[in-house]
Amino acid sequence: MKNFRFFLILLFLPSMLVGCVETNILDKLGLVTLVGYDVGTEEKMATTSAIREVNPEFQSNVEVITTENETSKGNRMKTNRKLSKKVVVGQMRVILFGEELAKDDIQHYIDAHLENESVSNSVYLAVVEGEMTELLEYEYKNIDDIGQHIYRLLEQNIKQENMISATLHETGHDLYTAGEDIFMPIIKKEEEVVELSGIALFKNSKMVSKIPPEDTFYVKLIAERFKTGTFETILQKEDIPDNLMKNTPNEIPIAFDTIHSKRELKLVNPNTPEFDLKVKIKSRITEIYPDVNLGDPKTVAILQKAISKNLSREISRVIAYSQSVDSDIFAFGEKFRSSVRGSNLTKEKWHELYKDMKVNVEVDFVILRSGVFE
Amino acid sequence: MKFKLPFNKKNETPVEIGAPRKDIGMLNPLKNDFVQSIKDATHNPADLIIKDIPPNHLTLIYINNLVDDVTLNDHIISNLQDKPNDTPEVIKATLSIPEINTSTRLEMAIKSLVNGSVLIHLEGYSQVIMANIPKRESRNLSTPENESQVLGAQVGFNESLSTNISLIRRYIVSPDLCNEKFTVGRRTNITVALLYINGIADDQMINTLRQRITDLNIDALLDSAVLAEMIDDNSMSVFPQMLLTERPDRFCDGLLNGKLGIVVDGSSMAIVCPQTFIEFFQSREDQNLRWQLATFARLLRFTAILLSVFLTPIYVGALTFHYEVIPQAFLVPLSESRALVPFPPVIEALLLEFIIELLREAGARLPTKIGQTIGIVGGIVIGTAAVQAGITSNILLIFVALSALASFTTPSYIMGNVIRLIRFPIIILAGYWGFYGIMLAFCFILIHLLRQSSLGAPYMSPFYPPRLKSMADTIIRLPLSLTSKRPEVTRPSDQEKFNPEPVKPDKS
Repeated sequence: MKNFRFFLILLFLPSMLVGCVETNILDKLGLVTLVGYDVGTEEKMATTSAIREVNPEFQSNVEVITTENETSKGNRMKTNRKLSKKVVVGQMRVILFGEELAKDDIQHYIDAHLENESVSNSVYLAVVEGEMTELLEYEYKNIDDIGQHIYRLLEQNIKQENMISATLHETGHDLYTAGEDIFMPIIKKEEEVVELSGIALFKNSKMVSKIPPEDTFYVKLIAERFKTGTFETILQKEDIPDNLMKNTPNEIPIAFDTIHSKRELKLVNPNTPEFDLKVKIKSRITEIYPDVNLGDPKTVAILQKAISKNLSREISRVIAYSQSVDSDIFAFGEKFRSSVRGSNLTKEKWHELYKDMKVNVEVDFVILRSGVFE
Repeated sequence: MKFKLPFNKKNETPVEIGAPRKDIGMLNPLKNDFVQSIKDATHNPADLIIKDIPPNHLTLIYINNLVDDVTLNDHIISNLQDKPNDTPEVIKATLSIPEINTSTRLEMAIKSLVNGSVLIHLEGYSQVIMANIPKRESRNLSTPENESQVLGAQVGFNESLSTNISLIRRYIVSPDLCNEKFTVGRRTNITVALLYINGIADDQMINTLRQRITDLNIDALLDSAVLAEMIDDNSMSVFPQMLLTERPDRFCDGLLNGKLGIVVDGSSMAIVCPQTFIEFFQSREDQNLRWQLATFARLLRFTAILLSVFLTPIYVGALTFHYEVIPQAFLVPLSESRALVPFPPVIEALLLEFIIELLREAGARLPTKIGQTIGIVGGIVIGTAAVQAGITSNILLIFVALSALASFTTPSYIMGNVIRLIRFPIIILAGYWGFYGIMLAFCFILIHLLRQSSLGAPYMSPFYPPRLKSMADTIIRLPLSLTSKRPEVTRPSDQEKFNPEPVKPDKS
């Protein structure tokens, strides 16, 4: 009897805790779908957020609100003062950084979001080229919800492997790994559209440079983050052997569709350091201009060699460029750390070594098929 | 401050309730005294017929509505008239009635009289002849209405014990089918039959059940559902531990798997026990379908049950606390349909669930002729109007209707009701603490289920205690060739159902 009463009380005791839980009723929330950080004009931090609100009177609408304050939480409070609904970040999909801010330091922002338990770790990060407020507050003709639009834009391109992926999780990992630097897609407002205009390279948590979006393929290839996708390259005159065709043009644009790619990275000399990078690509040619006779095995062999040569030169170029700005986005440092016993690698140490790093690139390009696809 | 609880019976002393009828004694050989004593004992009912037959001062006493008129005329009155019936032995030999007894005790005579006997008294003898010719009123056999199935026998039990037992005996033609009779209820004296197959059913279980029935000290029993609740292992639990079925094939399937069955006179539902939780969601029809189809049906049913219990609570939890988990594509339609609703999600959900339950209850109580109106009122008027008036959201309406529909896929009506009932506390907990509340409720229910037993057999078997071999034939239906063993939960004396070797020769 006593025992039973004890359990009965134990069972009903938790019901006292009913009021302790904070409720977030969906229709009373303003859902932030996108937030952009930039350097403020008056205060330290300017925040622009796209907030989806649902009103019974109208269809749901998207508010873009810019506030300035010292911290992101302070900005949220300021935003709250302008809205009839409680601002929450649990449905956030994209975090943008102004270029100016990115060049300053973004570690604080990444930390703050990693520590916030209601922010998903799969939100996309990107850098905005130009004015943040202009990009977000502009009323586009064909874009209804700018937050949703940028999310879809990034998602679509990342899934198609046209752009490198920088989610909060990946960036957080890369930021705290000794032999690696972070990178992010760059987006830009171009008249009435928003487009991906390149890749931002970071040294530690400061943006140091950018490379064009066409180089995404090489970056992904080197970092072994590429699986399948379409890519285009232009064979320069020096790549093209004379025996390929009769009237050799100055350049041959060529598009191919990678079926399978494999990268092998080997540290051959830890002192310099020196790496051997072997890339194997199996692909099919989707477009080539002018017409090359791909039915002839000899021609195909020549073409394969030409493309291999071209690709290895391009890869070397991208590596050399990133070395010149001191940003190791390919994680060579991680390979170094895992190959050299007791290296005790830190970011500083690696950046010292990275400048003088040597990479021997070897590309093995195989054409599996050509002709009718898709 | 100690309060008394109904389910702590340990220290209570059993209350002795005196029998309402006293032992009146021996019968009187004199006719007038005999008739008077019968009248006194039966309180002289209006339908008590006392009839004299010449020439030997024979007296016939019977209750008009209890005896079969045709038999009475053809086999008793015509046989006794104008014959020199000197002694009770002669009369007993004369009558062409199968069940005929003699007694000198008044108590026996009265008991026989109310069971549908004709008492024949001969002047000067204290012996009375009891010719049992009861009128058996019962409806015709019909299809089982609460447990209909597409493939399989279309016959259900009716309210007559003898019809029901004959149905069972047709399914199991075997001398091993045991039938024990009990009389339950001091005032109603209802016959209860315990059936099992000797050689399959476990002796210990038979003894337990036999003891539970004989130990019953109740004054009336009107339906087998009441009996099932009384002899359950835990009558306080919301989950039934014995199956009530009106299908003879399901009943016999149970007997053949080593279960015990109880049939109650006057009730169209039979009890099958021991029954595990998972078996409530299996239908007899599963055996009649090809195993792939039956597996699909079973998986559908289990999904339906999970949906039925958890869909509305998840809606409430997600919309009240965890907006993060809502998929992005769902976000806008969900919040737009909620925008006009003035209540928090938990009130909205409870309201709608209440309306659905109201419709179901009204549908069950309404006379059949106006039952159709409920469909129209429920479906069109309440559903559409509630959304337009902004009391509920469209999406919740779909969820609630779906979970109500899903709960009806349970082959056991009682279990279906339980599934609908346990949703309410879970919705309330989801409204209090969100997904943590749902988890709390789930754990509570799971622990409760694990603690139950059915006739001493574990209720959650074969999952707990884990019995790997029996587990295969629960959520999916195995091909028949792989189910040659009886489930272990009944502890059958004979494990093998058949030889697992294939009958047909191997293809070469």
